[in-house]
Amino acid sequence: MMEESEKTMSVHVTGRVRRVALGSVIAAAAALLVACSTVERSRTLGNPAIPAQALAAQVCSNCHGLDGNSVSPNFPRLAGQPAVYLTAQLKGFRGQNRSDPAGFEYMWGLSRHLTDEQIDGLATYYAGQQPRANSAADPQLIEKGRALFETGVPDKNIPPCAACHGAEAQGNESFPRLADQHADYIVKQLLVFQRTDQRPGGGVMKTIAHDLTAENIVAVAAFLQSFHFR
Amino acid sequence: MQSRYGSYPMPASCCLPSSFMLALASLLVLVSGAADAVPSFNRQTGQNCVACHAGGQFPDLTPYGRLFKLTGYTIGERAFPLAAMGVASYTKTRNTNDPFGDQGADFPKDGNFIFQTGSVFLAGKITDNVGGFVQVTYNNYDHQDENGHWVGHWVSDNMDFRYADRWIDPKNDLIFGITANNNPSVQDVWNSAPAWAFNVVPGSSGPPVTPILAGGLAANVAGAGPYIFWDRTLYAEVSAYRTADKIWSFMSQGMNTTRGDQQILKGANPYWRIALSHEWGAHSAMIGLMGLDASVYPDATDPTGPTNRFRDVAVDAQYQYLLDPHAVTLTLSYMHEKINYADTVANQPTELQDASGNPLPLQLTNSRDTVNMFRAKLSYVYRAKYGGTLSYFDVTGSTNTLNQTSGVDPITGEPVGTPVAGNLSGNPSTRGATVEIFWLPVQYVRVGLQYTAFDKFNGARSNYDAFGRNARDNNTVLFYVWGAY
Repeated sequence: MMEESEKTMSVHVTGRVRRVALGSVIAAAAALLVACSTVERSRTLGNPAIPAQALAAQVCSNCHGLDGNSVSPNFPRLAGQPAVYLTAQLKGFRGQNRSDPAGFEYMWGLSRHLTDEQIDGLATYYAGQQPRANSAADPQLIEKGRALFETGVPDKNIPPCAACHGAEAQGNESFPRLADQHADYIVKQLLVFQRTDQRPGGGVMKTIAHDLTAENIVAVAAFLQSFHFR
Repeated sequence: MQSRYGSYPMPASCCLPSSFMLALASLLVLVSGAADAVPSFNRQTGQNCVACHAGGQFPDLTPYGRLFKLTGYTIGERAFPLAAMGVASYTKTRNTNDPFGDQGADFPKDGNFIFQTGSVFLAGKITDNVGGFVQVTYNNYDHQDENGHWVGHWVSDNMDFRYADRWIDPKNDLIFGITANNNPSVQDVWNSAPAWAFNVVPGSSGPPVTPILAGGLAANVAGAGPYIFWDRTLYAEVSAYRTADKIWSFMSQGMNTTRGDQQILKGANPYWRIALSHEWGAHSAMIGLMGLDASVYPDATDPTGPTNRFRDVAVDAQYQYLLDPHAVTLTLSYMHEKINYADTVANQPTELQDASGNPLPLQLTNSRDTVNMFRAKLSYVYRAKYGGTLSYFDVTGSTNTLNQTSGVDPITGEPVGTPVAGNLSGNPSTRGATVEIFWLPVQYVRVGLQYTAFDKFNGARSNYDAFGRNARDNNTVLFYVWGAY
């Protein structure tokens, strides 16, 4: 009898010890998880306390690259873009004013609860990144595109891109940098301007893109992708 | 209107009545609004399905979808985590004749448009570093009762809980995480992983015998382990799996251990994975290896004594081209399995005879077996709206009387055993291909038509079941409507 109750007790005690041990492990793990949570490495959107730099590294970099030189042409290059332009785009996504597919599919949701401070911080961050040369395009296309970029199409009253975007296509305030940009992105955006009203913020481009032919669009995009000034 | 197509299926408690499901579905539609009626992850990031799913074709992941999963489903803001999906389908098999004259006995669902399966998902971000994906599935046609009526059944489906952190600066990019899940490879992010690669459309046809790593332990086990993804290039993971019982039993709900439904593993069973990934322009590619070493009790109702040991190694690769409006994914996988049987299973006598009434060629069951499987799949989606897939499967392996479930009675000369599903040769070889076309009218609905043709089934092209059935008799057309809310 004595032995049995001792055994039972020992089983109970062991069970209790196990539960306490398990509880401690879970509590320690939970504490560790909380301790590891840091705003510097947070992927949380909708929290004003998360610094723009953390969002750029933990969220934006997935598609745009850590330094804004995206690898995939599905995502525009942001490195060296004027901060004014970037701020306007992010606010355009947040306010759902910019509604081209690339915009609403990816950016509406991510930008919906960004604060003005976070937007400014992201714009400043990418404006300060060094653009990297993009892959080369067909030399013939590049030459044709260069002519369009430098002189426009005078017959159709299409002004040269360089007039607003800068002689090195480096961008200026609300005019985006075009140098090193993915050709595919430029083609798609020119078509958005030409055929839709999905980018009201770029209204001036609607007029300019109106008479651009498909060949012109492809050529100027090829030129811009290969156009690199440091 | 703003949604170009659909999103992620996402699970909840077991045994919910269908009226609850209906109410839940209605609620979800109301909560999420008419234009953006899409699942949990979509609410969390606000992004369309196409951000994470190649061409919007769930469950295939894009490079961004892979990073979303590897960082623990934590990008975005905590949102309403419930979602649901349902699949209605119609199947037609080339030959549904029953050798005993009971037309349709083996294919009771054939030729009927049915609500096949539904899932509830609980998914999303929990903390900055912790997130999860839990799917619970209701199989409306789970089994038939003694009166032949179909009985529905709730089961645990895909589950993956993660802790993840990422250190990223201009010199380093390291994701470190821990996953706890219920199917070796369900935690994987490439579309060639067995849990996500093939037969992802509920109701699809495929080989009856596959290596155990290809889903044989799904929702039977619980496993956990650490992983790293370094510089978006090198992925490495080691996990250990055990039977999903006791506190892990929520991962194997619907499995009945006393009835022997659930595979019972001995101790901790290692799974490992290594992969190299590269992205250039609109392309990305991966080549990898994975392996599993599992010791499984031969009799699940008596998990004692020696075990059957399965040692699986797989090499897999994936190529992806994603540039709107095109999404191309090619996946390849070759898996090699060695099985060493417990003494209680190996070298057992067999009573089955061949068609001439002679004992089958291998008198005793093997002490070891091999099973190999090659699978390839090519998919293309245009504008995240119209798509097609072409896939090929080829299972080969050693012949073993253990697998012979059909034969000929030496006295009567009549076939005995299991028609249709039976195996006369004792060989698992099955070869075939599936072609599929689908349409995504909106981002959360997929309508598809697929045809699976078998060139070989259970080791033979003809009379594989001893009842005169040929491999091509199993050729099947499947039409489905798959929606997620």
